[in-house]
Amino acid sequence: MAAREQSRYLARALPRAFMPSARPQPFLGRRNASDEAPARRLSDELETASSLTTVVSEDAAKSFDPAAQAKSRKSKLPRSRYQFRSPKYDRGPLHPHQPPPPSDPSSRLFVPGPFTLPRAEQTYNSTVASDILTLCYVHTPPGFKPPPKAPRLREWDDSSPYHKNRPLRGPRGGDVLRLLRKPIRFNNIPKIERITIHSYVKNAAHENSSWLHVAGMAIQAISNTRVETFKSKSSVATWSIAPGRDTVAVKAELQGETMYHFLGKLIDVVLPRIKDWPGIKGSSGDSSGNITFGLVPENVAMFPEIEVNYDMYPPKMIPGCHITLHTTAKADKDARLLLSAMGIPFYGKIVH
Amino acid sequence: MSMHTSLRRAAATLPNSTTTILPTGRLPASQSNATTFVCSQCRHATLLRRPKRPYTFTQLITLSDGSAFTHRTTSPAPVYRSTRDTRNSLLWNPSSSKLMNVEEDEAGRLAAFRARFGRSFDANTPVAETSSSSKDPATKKAEEEAAKAQAQAEQEEEDNLLDLISSFGQNEPQPTGKMAEKKKK
Repeated sequence: MAAREQSRYLARALPRAFMPSARPQPFLGRRNASDEAPARRLSDELETASSLTTVVSEDAAKSFDPAAQAKSRKSKLPRSRYQFRSPKYDRGPLHPHQPPPPSDPSSRLFVPGPFTLPRAEQTYNSTVASDILTLCYVHTPPGFKPPPKAPRLREWDDSSPYHKNRPLRGPRGGDVLRLLRKPIRFNNIPKIERITIHSYVKNAAHENSSWLHVAGMAIQAISNTRVETFKSKSSVATWSIAPGRDTVAVKAELQGETMYHFLGKLIDVVLPRIKDWPGIKGSSGDSSGNITFGLVPENVAMFPEIEVNYDMYPPKMIPGCHITLHTTAKADKDARLLLSAMGIPFYGKIVH
Repeated sequence: MSMHTSLRRAAATLPNSTTTILPTGRLPASQSNATTFVCSQCRHATLLRRPKRPYTFTQLITLSDGSAFTHRTTSPAPVYRSTRDTRNSLLWNPSSSKLMNVEEDEAGRLAAFRARFGRSFDANTPVAETSSSSKDPATKKAEEEAAKAQAQAEQEEEDNLLDLISSFGQNEPQPTGKMAEKKKK
């Protein structure tokens, strides 16, 4: 009732907007095309009759029973009537038919999982994370204030008039602005973010592409991930590699569940079997928490997936690879602490 | 796909780059920092490719000490038994004397050999300590038995050697001791 009354008021109130205002317009010499348009009324624009006033006949209301109708149906509806299918193409943000987000199971980009809780991840959650938090604890007495640090970007001394409006200078001793290392608290304990397995196959350029196929299959077998191929970016004349022409590299990116499965397998089974392996070099790392090491073809052949059908791979074509462990640590020191807690040994001079 | 604005990035310096059309998320880093880009909105429809994943099996990995865990792998073998892993490799167990590459010299035979025939540099090598106190009683007993058997075997061998020596110098049995002394010197 109230709704109906409101709509009546609304209908009465609306036409005012479309009526010419009573206030006299100041005279202007300019003439617009809209001046000569006929006056509009609300009924031209909107339907004034409310749908709530329409009366539905009794028998029509009684005959409406979708459940019974579905039950009486002999055959199933075609799939297209009840299953949503994502559009095959992304046609831009303004297209009316938008694909669902990748987290939606009906999306074409949806990847189901995780299905298992890998052992390495359990180790991290139960043991390693709390250990790192304890090891990295720095006690400050109450009331302690850290001394103020110099700004990371230096200002120009105004010795020259040309210094005005210059952008700030980079840090001393190089132009690289390092990542800011914050104290490790419960919410920024370093963890392994992703693992990249990369293999540069130089023979793929000057021989045939079978090297690349074998390398891709081997990397896919050890990593459980489909690989991507890459073209060369630099020219290597001795291997007859030209930039942009030759596809020479294969890469697999592991994240989440797959990553932890790979890490567990690498640490527990593969690395101990390498003859006279001293560990990862202590100076490796890109000084922002990512550590890289390499495996030669003989070591890659030690993975259980390759070992189980070793005959499938041409023995000369099994690739070596570089494995990069990306961590959320901001410094190599923290990354090494994390990885050695996970079971990866380091040797030599440990560079921080 | 919250961001639908895939951009066509045409490098101004590269001549053939007007045709390179890349999705937003996958621009190689070196291209993006090497040249200046002219960005314009990309108007074509992009195919949403279904992600490809290799088939994986669940595999049980049994480590050398008998502990086991499962993992997902592309290998179809249901069980993998490892002979060399973190449980029996020296790099992961640096304090384990069992894995250390020390010579077994329980009866002191090697030491005795060195004392008799060794050169000066390895005559004085300290005998490796057998840490039998740290082991459990079963292995201790086994070791004692082994040592006993070895000692017995040694005794027999020595007797044989003595027989040989005595048969060699039948006319004068005395010089055996002298020869041994000479050899010692």
